[in-house]
Amino acid sequence: MSHRPWHIAPLVALFTILIVVFLVARAKLVPETFGDLGFYRAQALDDVSELEISYAGMDACFDCHDDVFEEKSGSYHDGLSCEVCHGPSAKHVDEPDEFTPTAPRERGYCILCHGYNPSRPSGFPQILPEQHNPGKVCMSCHEPHNPLLPHTPEECSACHRDVANVKQVSHHATLECVTCHDVPDAHRTDPRNEHAEKPIDPSTCAKCHADGADSSEKIPRVDIEEHGGRYLCWDCHYPHYPESK
Amino acid sequence: MEQMLLNISSTLPDVSGYVFPNEYVLQWELLIVVYPYLTGLVAGAFILASLERVFKVSVLRPIYRLSLLTALSFMLIAPLPLLAHLGHPERSIEMFLTPHSSSAMAMFGFIYAWYLMVVLLLEIWFDYRKDFIIWAQEASGLKRLMYRVLALGTKDISKGAIDFDEKAGKFITILGIPSAFLLHGYVGFIFGSIKANPWWSSVLMPIVFLFSAIVSGIALVLLIYMISTMFRWKKMNMACVNKLAEFLFYAIIVDFSLELLDFIHRLYESEESIDILSEMISSRLFMSLIVSQIIIGTLVPAVALAFGRFGGFYSEMRRMLFFVAAILVQVGIFSTRWNVVIGGQLFSKSMRGLTVYKVEVFGMEGLLMTILFLVVPFVLLYFMIKIMPPWMDEGLEDIKLDKSNGVTSPPTTA
Ligand code: HEC
Ligand code: HEC
Ligand code: HEC
Ligand code: HEC
Ligand code: HEC
Ligand code: HEC
Ligand code: HEC
Ligand code: HEC
Repeated sequence: MSHRPWHIAPLVALFTILIVVFLVARAKLVPETFGDLGFYRAQALDDVSELEISYAGMDACFDCHDDVFEEKSGSYHDGLSCEVCHGPSAKHVDEPDEFTPTAPRERGYCILCHGYNPSRPSGFPQILPEQHNPGKVCMSCHEPHNPLLPHTPEECSACHRDVANVKQVSHHATLECVTCHDVPDAHRTDPRNEHAEKPIDPSTCAKCHADGADSSEKIPRVDIEEHGGRYLCWDCHYPHYPESK
Repeated sequence: MEQMLLNISSTLPDVSGYVFPNEYVLQWELLIVVYPYLTGLVAGAFILASLERVFKVSVLRPIYRLSLLTALSFMLIAPLPLLAHLGHPERSIEMFLTPHSSSAMAMFGFIYAWYLMVVLLLEIWFDYRKDFIIWAQEASGLKRLMYRVLALGTKDISKGAIDFDEKAGKFITILGIPSAFLLHGYVGFIFGSIKANPWWSSVLMPIVFLFSAIVSGIALVLLIYMISTMFRWKKMNMACVNKLAEFLFYAIIVDFSLELLDFIHRLYESEESIDILSEMISSRLFMSLIVSQIIIGTLVPAVALAFGRFGGFYSEMRRMLFFVAAILVQVGIFSTRWNVVIGGQLFSKSMRGLTVYKVEVFGMEGLLMTILFLVVPFVLLYFMIKIMPPWMDEGLEDIKLDKSNGVTSPPTTA
């Protein structure tokens, strides 16, 4: 090249300055221990461990409240930590007479976990708070440390609110759950170990929907052999809401 | 929290079907619509400029610098909607200090910086350096100092130096094209790579974004050129305007074909999401997708451009057609961004329901903020044009002298 581009020297200088400024700023601003252990500030571990501890953990309660602890252990609330209801109680463990934990006695608290919400799995105990003994505190019937039901629920909807709600407005509204499901009585008291059956073949539906079935005239009929081909009926029809596409 | 519950309850009645609790309220709102719209304009305007520079489409000479300045002014504003949305602008620096290589967003910070510092600013500097020096000689006082600073104190305007500037500028432009592609392709990439969202997840996304960016960029420069020439009382360079309209037309065709391809692909694949998506298109997105994006924003302008460009009209009529088409294109592309960003959040990932989005007027993410972010780039551009006039109208007379090209009166309506 005949011409030497000296005129861009200031530009080069400017960029060099910018890069140096950036590097210096980076060296200054990035925390010293950043990256030592991973993509974070290693010092943060020490900082966090110096924070005051507010939760004592469930085992700590055992020393003095073994009665409650034991009661809860065998119950449906086994999986819940004490402090999920009583709040952080580390101070109480250190000085039981100085600090007493609160106990959530209002209805609202239990509803946080037990209010009906469609995203909760079917079978998780849920209630509609407006309908479930409104006005009374939960503790008058349920013992929080061992929430046994006062009596066995009669309705499947007590535990399968989601299914019941849908079925209620469907064309299958009039059908009892047990028309299709074989449910041992023990399922109502111990659902996790005593399983309810789900239909496994189309004969369940055929009882009412087969061409020659002995059922009400109004029920629509299909040719069970042909209709739906090799698929199960509920691959296409949601049995609790059969009209959905 | 209470406010949020109030918001939720005010929209609840409009929710249809089943929607997960965390889907009632949209997380990405109007400002996130504005952001890809702005970066699109940047990339589009820059690619237009490079057409002139690299591919030597010399009729576009009059808008070369204008497109660069447009790109710059929109580039400077584009990140602001994001910062406003995140609400902690002071933390944005962290992304540069400790970027994580597995984060597309973090890496993009560097693409953005690269594009701004190395591509746009450098190209503009090399292109304007000679003018800065000349303007500095002509001016005095503070103005002189400003041009001196802008020229970084250089004074060499020998032929060798200018030739070097020219070469360097060209080199940077060549570098700039893939950078511009990356700039907007990335925005599409961010959306396209969200696996869990069937409305977004598509490998075509970056490409579709890119072409819609080109469409919007060309239309914007066309608009700015037309309006600014009117106000400067100059005659429009019809050859240039024609070419712009032509490119705009082609870009619309390519963009529309790509969107159509994407659409047909989804329809044919017909995954489990197809039902809820078609329900969304025919209800929630009907106005913004079918009417605004496709009919008003694509088909009408395409026809108008085709007529204007190839229909053999007088230039007065052409200009009208182009002008209207360019405005409609902006409406269309904005709707495109809306449909992507808002659309992707309107349907439930349960595929069973749709929520609603209501634009708020005030507030950090409201309508007023949005309008502000859309207006500020133009204000910025106005000042840039004042300081460094981009006009290159050698060979064009003032409008009053001209009687030859069907123009009889200055176009006062606009
Ligand atoms: C060192 C023994 C000790 C430990 C450990 C301890 N507590 Fe206590 N707790 C007590 C005593 C003593 C009382 C009665 C204090 C009173 O009546 O004022 C009490 C009372 C309570 C009460 C009743 C408050 C009320 O309103 O009646 C609750 C609830 C409670 N403890 C929860 C816990 C939980 C949860 C833990 C575990 C994190 C725990 N305690 C661990 C000694 C202990
Ligand atoms: C589901 C929430 C819940 C959990 C989990 C829970 N508690 Fe309670 N607890 C309560 C409520 C509600 C009361 C108040 C009962 C009342 O007033 O009738 C209470 C009362 C108490 C009391 C005072 C009254 C009594 O019955 O002696 C103690 C002590 C106590 N809890 C300890 C514990 C310990 C220890 C654990 C963990 C092993 C625990 N709680 C777990 C809700 C809970
Ligand atoms: C942190 C969440 C949580 C809170 C708060 C809570 N529970 Fe529970 N509850 C559970 C879980 C988990 C189960 C066990 C469900 C299972 O086994 O499927 C359960 C089970 C139950 C059952 C069902 C027993 C059965 O036979 O089906 C009752 C009744 C109950 N809780 C009452 C209460 C009451 C009353 C309160 C308020 C004092 C309360 N719960 C607070 C989580 C909670
Ligand atoms: C008047 C007594 C009474 C009160 C008060 C009461 N319940 Fe119940 N609860 C029952 C009975 C009885 C059942 C048995 C199931 C059935 O037949 O509905 C039951 C069942 C339940 C179940 C189990 C349903 C299932 O799906 O397994 C839960 C959970 C429950 N109650 C929570 C609560 C909560 C939370 C409160 C307070 C907001 C509360 N209950 C207040 C009497 C009561
Ligand atoms: C006390 C609460 C309770 C009552 C009452 C109850 N269930 Fe269940 N049911 C459950 C729980 C909990 C499960 C989940 C068991 C598991 O996941 O292992 C379950 C599971 C089921 C299943 C199997 C679901 C699957 O995916 O395999 C069916 C079917 C069923 N119940 C039907 C019924 C019917 C019909 C009734 C009324 C006759 C009924 N249940 C009454 C709690 C209950
Ligand atoms: C018309 C027959 C029919 C009736 C009536 C019916 N079910 Fe079912 N249910 C089925 C079939 C079939 C399945 C299996 C679906 C599958 O495997 O996809 C099922 C599945 C279930 C399941 C598993 C989880 C789910 O949601 O699919 C539960 C729980 C259940 N039923 C509860 C009930 C309860 C409670 C009722 C009464 C309120 C009821 N069912 C009434 C046919 C029926
Ligand atoms: C005990 C009788 C009975 C059984 C068993 C039964 N159904 Fe039904 N089914 C009915 C009745 C009653 C109607 C409602 C007819 C009407 O519309 O009045 C109906 C309606 C339907 C419909 C039509 C809904 C519509 O769009 O109108 C379908 C689909 C259906 N059932 C599917 C099934 C399937 C799948 C099963 C097996 C899981 C099944 N049914 C089992 C009684 C039954
Ligand atoms: C491959 C999917 C598929 C399967 C599997 C299937 N169906 Fe259907 N079924 C349909 C469709 C689709 C319709 C609606 C047809 C129409 O509206 O003409 C229908 C309609 C029905 C109707 C309503 C007919 C009417 O006159 O309204 C009944 C009852 C029914 N099916 C029962 C069953 C039963 C029982 C089975 C299991 C043996 C079954 N289906 C399996 C797809 C299926």
